[in-house]
Amino acid sequence: MSWGFPQLTRRGFMKTGGGAALGATLLQAGSWMPGAEAREGAAEEQVYSICNFCSSLCNIQVTTRTENGEQRIVKLEGNPHSTLNRGKMCARGQAGVRQVYDPDRIKTPLIRVEGSQRGEGRFRAATWEEAWEYIAQKSRDTKIQPWEWTMVGGWTSCVFYMYWAVPFALSNGVPNIVASPMQHCVASGHLGTDSVTGNFNIHDEVLPDYDNANYILFVANNASIGAVSTSRMVRFAAGRKKGARVVALDTRLSETAAKADEWIMIRPGTDLDFMVAMMHVILEEKLYDEPFLKRHTNMPFLVRRGDDGQWQLAMDAQGHPLVVTEHDHKIVPLPAFTNDNGTDADGAPVHPALHAPEGLEWQNKPVKTVFQAQWDEIAANSPDWAERTTGVSSYTIRRIAREFATAGRPIVDPGWHGARYTNINMLRRVQAMVQALVGGIDRRGGWIMSGEYHHKVAHWLKSQQEGHSPGPLMTSMAGVPFVGELIKALSNGKTFPHGKPAWAFAFAAQERAAGRPGVAVPALADTGMKESVNGELMYDGQPYLTRAIVINAANPVRHYYPDTHWKGILTHKNVELVIAIDVLPSDTIPYADVVLPNPTYLERNEPTIYGNGVNHDLTLTTRFKAIDPLYDTLETPDILLRLSQIISGTHEPFLNMLEALSGIPHQRTWEAYKKYQAEGANSPFSKACRDVAMEDTAKRIHVSVQKLHDGLSRQGIYPEIPADELLKQHAMPRKMALPTTSGRLEFFGSLFVWLQQMGGKGSSFNVLAAPIAAECRAEASMADPLKPDEFYFTYGKTPTISYGSTNSNNPVLAAINRFKKDIYTGIWIHPDRAGPLGIASGDAILVTNTLSGQEASGKAYVTRQLHPDAIFLHSSFGVENKALHLSYGLGTASNKLIPYMVEPVVAGFRSQEFTVRIRKV
Amino acid sequence: MTRYAMVIDMNTCVGCNACMAACSLENQTPVWSDQWRTYVHDRETASGRAVHRHFIPRLCNHCANPACMSVCPTGATYQTKDGVVLVDEELCMGCQACALACPYDARYPYTHDDIAEGKKFYGTLHRKSPSMDKCSFCNHRLEAGKPPACVQTCVGYARIFGDLDNPIDPVTELVRTHKAKPLMAHLGTRPNVYYIPER
Amino acid sequence: METMTFATQNLWTWWFALYLFLGGMGAAVIVVSFLSHMYLREEKELVMWGAISGTIMMVVGSGMLFLHLLNKWAAIYILTPWGIFHKPDSWIAWGSQFILWLQVAAILYALPYMVEKPRLLHWPLVGALLKMKFTRDVALVATRFQPFLAWVAVITGLGTAVYTGLLLQSFPAVTLWHNPAVPILFTVSAFSTAMAWLLIVMYLFIYHRVDHTIRALYERVDMCLITAELVIIYSFFNFTLSGSESGYRSAELLWGNPGWVLGFVVMGLMVPLAMEVKCVFGRWSGKVPIVTASLLVLSGGFLLRHFFMQAGVYAYPW
Ligand SMILES: Nc1nc2c(c(=O)[nH]1)N[C@H]1C(S)=C(S)[C@@H](COP(=O)(O)OP(=O)(O)OC[C@H]3O[C@@H](n4cnc5c(=O)[nH]c(N)nc54)[C@H](O)[C@@H]3O)O[C@H]1N2
Ligand SMILES: Nc1nc2c(c(=O)[nH]1)N[C@H]1C(S)=C(S)[C@@H](COP(=O)(O)OP(=O)(O)OC[C@H]3O[C@@H](n4cnc5c(=O)[nH]c(N)nc54)[C@H](O)[C@@H]3O)O[C@H]1N2
Ligand code: SF4
Ligand code: SF4
Ligand code: SF4
Ligand code: SF4
Ligand code: SF4
Ligand SMILES: [Mo]
Repeated sequence: MSWGFPQLTRRGFMKTGGGAALGATLLQAGSWMPGAEAREGAAEEQVYSICNFCSSLCNIQVTTRTENGEQRIVKLEGNPHSTLNRGKMCARGQAGVRQVYDPDRIKTPLIRVEGSQRGEGRFRAATWEEAWEYIAQKSRDTKIQPWEWTMVGGWTSCVFYMYWAVPFALSNGVPNIVASPMQHCVASGHLGTDSVTGNFNIHDEVLPDYDNANYILFVANNASIGAVSTSRMVRFAAGRKKGARVVALDTRLSETAAKADEWIMIRPGTDLDFMVAMMHVILEEKLYDEPFLKRHTNMPFLVRRGDDGQWQLAMDAQGHPLVVTEHDHKIVPLPAFTNDNGTDADGAPVHPALHAPEGLEWQNKPVKTVFQAQWDEIAANSPDWAERTTGVSSYTIRRIAREFATAGRPIVDPGWHGARYTNINMLRRVQAMVQALVGGIDRRGGWIMSGEYHHKVAHWLKSQQEGHSPGPLMTSMAGVPFVGELIKALSNGKTFPHGKPAWAFAFAAQERAAGRPGVAVPALADTGMKESVNGELMYDGQPYLTRAIVINAANPVRHYYPDTHWKGILTHKNVELVIAIDVLPSDTIPYADVVLPNPTYLERNEPTIYGNGVNHDLTLTTRFKAIDPLYDTLETPDILLRLSQIISGTHEPFLNMLEALSGIPHQRTWEAYKKYQAEGANSPFSKACRDVAMEDTAKRIHVSVQKLHDGLSRQGIYPEIPADELLKQHAMPRKMALPTTSGRLEFFGSLFVWLQQMGGKGSSFNVLAAPIAAECRAEASMADPLKPDEFYFTYGKTPTISYGSTNSNNPVLAAINRFKKDIYTGIWIHPDRAGPLGIASGDAILVTNTLSGQEASGKAYVTRQLHPDAIFLHSSFGVENKALHLSYGLGTASNKLIPYMVEPVVAGFRSQEFTVRIRKV
Repeated sequence: MTRYAMVIDMNTCVGCNACMAACSLENQTPVWSDQWRTYVHDRETASGRAVHRHFIPRLCNHCANPACMSVCPTGATYQTKDGVVLVDEELCMGCQACALACPYDARYPYTHDDIAEGKKFYGTLHRKSPSMDKCSFCNHRLEAGKPPACVQTCVGYARIFGDLDNPIDPVTELVRTHKAKPLMAHLGTRPNVYYIPER
Repeated sequence: METMTFATQNLWTWWFALYLFLGGMGAAVIVVSFLSHMYLREEKELVMWGAISGTIMMVVGSGMLFLHLLNKWAAIYILTPWGIFHKPDSWIAWGSQFILWLQVAAILYALPYMVEKPRLLHWPLVGALLKMKFTRDVALVATRFQPFLAWVAVITGLGTAVYTGLLLQSFPAVTLWHNPAVPILFTVSAFSTAMAWLLIVMYLFIYHRVDHTIRALYERVDMCLITAELVIIYSFFNFTLSGSESGYRSAELLWGNPGWVLGFVVMGLMVPLAMEVKCVFGRWSGKVPIVTASLLVLSGGFLLRHFFMQAGVYAYPW
């Protein structure tokens, strides 16, 4: 520029600003003005706790303020010391404080008004003694037998009270546990992944190292990032800032897809085809980490076709798996259980080959490697093949496969919620395989197991090697072996004196006997419950009835499919007693006879010291109560203790089982309990357990109780071993075996061999990766055209709500939901499809399930952010209980559209395997 | 001198609304009246066949040349020496001229009724008299050496807080290099909230 | 950013339009009647009517604002005279002072006439007040300072009328408001409505007590003012059509609204203009046409402010 233009500096403006500020000070009001006192200093205190609104289990800091003699919780924040959530928390967590002060809370025990029916929700306030008396009398009068009880637990009871709930059931002879996370996500989604890695509950054990990844692929998953799992999101943000490329496979433009560099709009139900094609490309173009596959996976193992046509492992007489060596093509046995294929069964070095030579035989039968068998299985499933169903161009699929495999530190996110299609099991399994193909397991920039998981597996392996028991089952076993034990206990009648297995297993057997497929491992699922309630289930020639139900921190009426299924169960005349433990009046509460209120998470010390969720670091944590309970509430261990006394007449078996399974010492705990009870403490049993846990944990980590307690109360966490150190020693499978059958990453799924033995038949039980088509319409492929008013049904979580949970009633979250009402509570529909149907945003529409005829109404939200073949709704709304004042009547309930339909492996819900019709009303 | 500023990284905001929740609870805002000091908008745009979804957090921009301040007749709206624009609740008569003057829709009325409700809702309310309200950059937290509540909780590290007078503050670098740009700079309000556009 | 949201405000609604309308008109009524008194003829009736009705308008107008304050106690800060020294940049601070002192000056100016007016002395309360010795003493003093008071009233009155526009102009985000034509438009409109009001007064209440020439002059002036207003409105229309999206949206809102087009532009400007032209050039006589035209001008004056408040469009980049 030729002439200098005088630059106005910002500083100049600041000075003028200062003058005005001075004016304001001069004008400062006199104290005669109403309400002119300054914000008075009040006593603030901080305690640490754990969030209770999703299984990310964020560490939190709770600030209380005492004003006018009343101590109130004023603010929650992420615990700044936490390496898990790094001082952050999501909207649900932030708003959690309002749960404590929700006027709709359950404030005393409630007993259903005499003469009213379950479902009407007419209750009278009662004392705890009245409630116990009611339960005791009912079970006495109607002679409820131990096996006629069923426990229903939600995820919080799983995570925080499993150590009490399982011993409670087993000790009282109750074989029946329904756990709400199982059929929806943990079992149905993750079992596939688990079969590869040996984990049990992938989202509680694996936290991908997004921080260090440079390529991240999300498949049918939004919650990890966009619906916010804080521990994942903070890492993702860091990785993305560092430049990681992000690709999201979703049927709609989810929050995660919005943050991706590339959103791949895939047709619902066809992700498996995409993943199989991706695997095809990686194998075909040799983009895998060959040395890793050879050393740490069962890819080089030899397999052959069994007499039933199924692939089997070729083994020597001692049960050693066999491999063929790289150069001299010798067949060599390997140790049955190890992390490393580098030495053979005799300890000599060996170089296993991925490719067996043509015509290789073992015991006169042709054999080939798992690698080769796997390639044969999917040789036809190229990107060209996948293009038709997925609607994604073969070019894109191939490009993504190449980008992924050559990125260096790629992650395919393991995924979270299952329960959509029969094939989701296989989908998650192939995702794990693809991650394993690039060697991205338990290393920086890949999937990393949690500190607690490393620790447990290492401990368990050590005890195996040394040949002694690892210790109490619940606290010392991890991964698939742990579930194995649990399944054995529940499926085998011999576990109990009355000789009955869980009704779920009895029902599966009855189905198989009737020539129907049944469910292979219906562990903790609700399959068979209705039949048992109705009196349609026989065991040993006797009716196997369900007559009493305890629901702890679960909301089956809203969370199971369809709503009518559980309403039917809970109102059935055979059911004599329904007990519900909760903090807020969920949709299930009106169906109870007795409602027992818990204090909210901020009003309680937890009864034990916990591991730190998915944190890569090994760290301890627990809850410290921020305020005394506001209402007449009792903690879960105390409730279970009392129920044990009612069911079994004595607490002894429960305490013995607590010691055996959870390592909670009977004698010391009982003494502490007696002491606290005499002092009149609130929830004395929980308090006793906590004390003992504090002592025992301190002993385990070799510090004084004082030090542990102080550390936890000062920081909310107690760090033990940092992640890098754990990885150095215990990286699985590079340093240490995984808890799979073979200790390696398993492409050949030995878990499925076992499941086949449990009765599993069909493509879901394939021992290798292979495509399985979603069946949304009889006799039609996903690619076939839909009728003009016909759509695939999809759903997902809202960032502001947990599940369909009671926190939709949280006033802060409810206000955000009002702010985003169209997006959050509307039914998404593409304008190209809505137009011809005459539907505009805001129109009332009726959705009808073409398979079951179920109907639900809602408001249309017309948007281009989803696949034209699909409608989408957030699964968080549709509350029916008027006692939840803020969320009652808002949005559409997904469980009114989803029929009772489960897949054959673990009874996971096939909650999207149908189509719907849309009509403007 | 200190000149506080916020940079919002649109690349990592996931539209989770945690900031809205954190802000309302920290600052006792009237959620029941659907009023917020900060919003995160969720917007759809399309270019050709491509569809995009944007999350746009917004709040008071703590303008260096605040239109809200110059219109304020009582002097209730003022600027601290650190560049934070505040409302003195006792001086404010609630004429709401500032709300109309603000180009960023950052202000809302905290009414008598809100105060009555707020006392019930929050137990103890800091606020004693009704006034215009808006984001304060959590000045009370800044004074205590803590970042604003929304910044503290932001799960995407999308809200970055800093001091533009500090040459080594990351925020200064982002602003200096124009990686982060203010909204509607042409209005001459000299906003101190900057946005890193999506890549 | 690629996104854009357009919004209008709903904080200052009809009551604020009333404030602007009555404030501007009241001030202009006082200014016009006082100037007439000073430079045309000493019409006591007109001065009294001007001062009293103008003051009432301003009381009601500012009452609108006061009633809508969130914290009425704090209004004290804009009523203390030193307020503007602290907030010289705030038009409301100035406006409040103008309005305050204008009312004081107007009442004092008219007081000497009021204390002698029998009809007023018979009114309850007012009569009692006027009969008080203190009032009479004040009136006596006021007589001495009448020229000074007149000038105070004229200056603060002009200030008030202009202020109503300047206030809107100080909102930078709204193109419709944030431009120098707004104060001019509002001032012209304030005077036009004031003329109309005084014509109504003269025709209906003090027809025989005021000289005809003043009426004739007012009619002519009002005609000119309305013409000027039409010119400004037209240039506004042009101004908003391009330059900014905010302005364009305002234009759409205004010109798509029959209330604005028919209610304000046609019935509030064009029709009264035509009627006044007809009256002025002698084709029409009698009270009805001119009173009707004046009433239309008054309603136009309110509608102008109402729609101006309503059509201010903010363009937000989200
Ligand atoms: N409609 C619908 N159904 C779903 C889902 C969905 O999104 N929508 N998601 C599915 C998935 S993935 C899962 S994991 C499951 C989860 O299902 P659940 O485990 O049932 O989930 P929550 O709603 O968190 O917990 C159930 C109950 O626990 C109560 N609760 C909260 N805090 C406490 C406490 O401290 N003590 C006690 N006793 N109770 C407490 C809540 O008020 C609620 O009524 O739901 C599945 N079902
Ligand atoms: N905010 C919030 N976060 C949560 C929870 C919560 O309740 N609320 N619950 C936690 C729990 S227990 C779970 S299980 C997880 C669940 O978390 P996710 O597994 O992420 O489950 P959803 O949110 O139900 O759905 C994720 C995405 O899948 C998409 N989708 C649906 N069908 C298909 C399909 O066929 N193909 C593809 N590619 N995409 C599809 C949906 O559009 C949605 O964006 O969330 C956890 N985090
Ligand atoms: S992600 Fe949110 S809801 Fe889940 S534990 Fe963390 S703060 Fe709580
Ligand atoms: S907390 Fe952060 S990531 Fe979440 S919406 Fe707010 S700015 Fe965006
Ligand atoms: S509402 Fe309060 S802060 Fe705003 S301009 Fe009026 S007095 Fe000032
Ligand atoms: S954003 Fe608005 S309220 Fe905030 S300082 Fe700027 S003009 Fe004032
Ligand atoms: S800085 Fe503080 S007041 Fe401003 S939006 Fe963030 S949390 Fe709210
Ligand atoms: Mo879940």
